[in-house]
Amino acid sequence: MDFPDFSLDTSLLQKAKEPEPKITYDLLILGGGPAAMSAAVYAARKMINLAIITRDFGGQIRETSEVENWLGFQSINAKDLADSFEEHVSGFDIPVSLGASITEVKKEGDVFKVLTADTTIYSSRTLIIATGKRHRPLNVPGENELLGRGVAYCATCDAPFFKGKKVVVAGGGNSAFTTAVDLLKAGADVTLVNSIKGWQADESLQERIKQTGKVSLFDYHQIVKIEGKDSVEGVVVKNRENDKEKKLRANGVFIEIGLSPNNEPVKNLVETNDHGEIIVDCFCRTSVEGLFGAGDVTTVPHKQIVISAGEGAKAALSAYDYLINKSII
Amino acid sequence: MGALKEKDKEKVASIFKGIEKDVTIVMFTQEMECPRCEMTRLMLEEVSGLSDKITLEVHDFVAEADLAKKYGIDKIPATAIFGDKDYGIHFYGVPAGYEFNVLIEDIMDAGKRNPGLSEEVMAELAKVDKPVHLQVLISPT
Repeated sequence: MDFPDFSLDTSLLQKAKEPEPKITYDLLILGGGPAAMSAAVYAARKMINLAIITRDFGGQIRETSEVENWLGFQSINAKDLADSFEEHVSGFDIPVSLGASITEVKKEGDVFKVLTADTTIYSSRTLIIATGKRHRPLNVPGENELLGRGVAYCATCDAPFFKGKKVVVAGGGNSAFTTAVDLLKAGADVTLVNSIKGWQADESLQERIKQTGKVSLFDYHQIVKIEGKDSVEGVVVKNRENDKEKKLRANGVFIEIGLSPNNEPVKNLVETNDHGEIIVDCFCRTSVEGLFGAGDVTTVPHKQIVISAGEGAKAALSAYDYLINKSII
Repeated sequence: MGALKEKDKEKVASIFKGIEKDVTIVMFTQEMECPRCEMTRLMLEEVSGLSDKITLEVHDFVAEADLAKKYGIDKIPATAIFGDKDYGIHFYGVPAGYEFNVLIEDIMDAGKRNPGLSEEVMAELAKVDKPVHLQVLISPT
């Protein structure tokens, strides 16, 4: 007998199971990247009454194509890896507020209050913030106006659209050079513009790009403006040695000048370093009792999937110890 | 070959661990089963076997016409989800594709004795003072 499709899309079911604002959870996990998902798995296995509040699942993994340093896989498709993480989490009975934008976290007595943009307030005894990082903007005229019309932040997602086009990449670190590699593979004509004096990318990456002879390099130049009417037509760069401006023709601008931690909901609550990263100790504890941090939003060095996943596990176990020691569970 | 893939069986079984109270699936077919009646019954046998909180009752639409009338079932294949009562959750045809998700979701809601609606919506619905017939028509594409 040929049966029709009886396959299950657990994400559809998950949408129906929202956290309850009336409940004070033992743990709320904020975020949906590898740190948050790993924390959720560890906490669920400890039978902690928890919920997840996140805009989406996958985090920055969804912005890359292949992962070659996740143990057990010589190479794995990044989407498949993110999907497998999400599937693992959805195998537990965890309420998820998906699509939620978190605006503020407060602590009232021993209870954390998490406010979302739709004015819902969730409560919990402990909290793990694992909201990750996002691409830093240039903050120049034309950037917002032409976003998605030539201005891009994700080479993996958008490089194939620029075959045969002129593209300026802003940045001088590994991300900028990797983006240049992706764009060259896609058949784009690439120019790298670095606002800090001296390229910061690994020597091997720099050599790889320089050996192609196909990339124009503007060191110590600052992008001051992105021009275009309906789409990007060019950028204005300023030589920081002599302040002379020059116009470069371009159909696209990829911005790869680093990442900012998504710390806004807690920045008035916890201590952060000069980069805005939440300061955590080796137990993932922050400056606020009961509030734990994990992954790229924290000061933990080396932003890697495997490290974030490990940090998420640590944060969940630390939250569990805290709840036990406080006789809450 | 069964109706459900092994991977989906595992997913459903995992979700069914969250069933709080007993659920009964009432299915109407007939002795000379139509192909869609048979595939619905085989699927429900597999689904109900994934949790000891689910009981499957299979009835004959012709031989048990009075029972079908009592439940308001007027065509087959029919699948009704009962918690402590008949909530009126009836599927006609094969709950496949997207509707399979809805079927699993309805089983979970029946096990909770709660449709998961907000207090405001429940209060509004409580104002309905005469029977209302709700029917959702869906296509498989």
